[in-house]
Amino acid sequence: MRYMRLLVVFFKTSLQTDMEYRVDFFTRILASLLGLLTTLGGLSVVFTYTSNIHGWKLADMVVLLSIYYLMDGIIEMFIGPNMRQIMEQVRQGTLDFVLLKPISAQFLATTRQINIWRMANVLIGIGLSIFSVNRLSLSIGPVQAVAFAVTMAASVGIVYSFWLFLVTLTFWVVRIDNLEQIVAQAFEAGRYPIDIYPSWLRGGLTYVIPVVFMITVPARALAGRADGPQVLTSIIIAACAVTLSSWFWRFGLKNYTGASA
Amino acid sequence: MRYWVTVYRANLKIAIAQMLQYRFGILIWAVWGFVGPLISLAVWTSASVARGGGSIGAAGSGSYSRADFAAYFLTFMIVGHLTMSWDAFEFAFRVRDGNLSPKLLRPLHPIHSDVTFNIAFKLTTCVMILPAWVLLFVVLHPTPPHSLFSFLCGIPAVVMAGLIRYILQYSLAVIAFWTTRVEAINQLYFTLDAFLAGRIAPLSLLPGWMGLMAMYLPFRSMGAFPVELLLGRVPAEQILPGFIMQIAWLGAAVCVFRIMWRAGIKQYSAVGA
Repeated sequence: MRYMRLLVVFFKTSLQTDMEYRVDFFTRILASLLGLLTTLGGLSVVFTYTSNIHGWKLADMVVLLSIYYLMDGIIEMFIGPNMRQIMEQVRQGTLDFVLLKPISAQFLATTRQINIWRMANVLIGIGLSIFSVNRLSLSIGPVQAVAFAVTMAASVGIVYSFWLFLVTLTFWVVRIDNLEQIVAQAFEAGRYPIDIYPSWLRGGLTYVIPVVFMITVPARALAGRADGPQVLTSIIIAACAVTLSSWFWRFGLKNYTGASA
Repeated sequence: MRYWVTVYRANLKIAIAQMLQYRFGILIWAVWGFVGPLISLAVWTSASVARGGGSIGAAGSGSYSRADFAAYFLTFMIVGHLTMSWDAFEFAFRVRDGNLSPKLLRPLHPIHSDVTFNIAFKLTTCVMILPAWVLLFVVLHPTPPHSLFSFLCGIPAVVMAGLIRYILQYSLAVIAFWTTRVEAINQLYFTLDAFLAGRIAPLSLLPGWMGLMAMYLPFRSMGAFPVELLLGRVPAEQILPGFIMQIAWLGAAVCVFRIMWRAGIKQYSAVGA
């Protein structure tokens, strides 16, 4: 209960700060729409020459793209700003103030701010997924809805843990913004179905940086193509990831001695 | 002339030293250059496989087999790296945080130190990613260039492409004097560039109206033209007109830049002053 109240407070203060930069929202939404136009235009050019790519039709690709935007928006809105702030604070030594507060350090450090205007991509993702589901004239039954909700939640859990893991590394190596770039590059590849990539890259996107469980599986669930084992696997991976990364964070904190101490 | 050689040599020394200090960081940035072309290649290869491995596009110099796609996008990857510029972001950032002001006080236009930085980045990263390029060429079996003459013509075309792109990017950057932010404008530039320079697909595979647009805008001169020339895909009678286009666009870009810079610098009053 106390944690819920805190979340509300965090949300309110973030909202107040971000309201000062309203123009940012329109810039973001314009830039995102242009980016979307590029991908969609590129796809429609490819699909004038073929009707499917490794079994993916244009409409399936648009479903995938909508999940890509949704996840990207969620990451940039909730996860990214907090994690980047932790990195910055480790470098400057101000993380100590976070650790002194009488609540879970992980909770405080990873939920305290929300970048409201990054909502642009979340909105685009939702809009695009509604559009594409209509285009596919999919009837979303309760089973599909549950499968989608579960895989989406698992996806958020996996992304969160992945970031937490990277951020915990900064306790030892201080600078990891380069690693962040590598993850961003892998995530970019998730814009398209991973079936188009050579097998070694598919392996990397499944086991090393699990982009498959972040984007592809939820997209399949929304299109009604995910089977039981896939949904189950993503739940198990998410559960393991959240537990492990949380343990790793606490282990890191124990070894953390402050920047200048 | 002597003066400029000294200036550029001194600047280049500083820039290379800085690049080597952050060698891992710049290497990661350079890897971004792989992502786009390789994704495009994967998409088109899959499309080609879906059609039973045949060529795509009208017969003749406009059609592409799997190996042709590999040649096109790998060459694009290298040309893209050699001609890239990122000054719009950098410049807008400087306008916002006030770092531009001390640079304006120097007796040298700030574009010169930025040019040397660009060159230093390419020199250092090329050495580092050369093995990766070679490996990709070995693994993907692209079609070799059709003619040596065309390939040799392609080299000055790449230099021209780099110049046009650099000056156009810098002109976009100057918009920050008025707006302090250039993300949306820059994204528009990237979107147009993705299609009309041939980044997403070879120009001959685009729908007709887009191909027509590409003929009348500067993007082809900064991308597809040098790439196709290197591969020997430009018909002989179109080589000279292609170069004339490049020279014309370079001239236009320089004029636009000078006009915008002069107007912008009058307008600039330093953020926070």
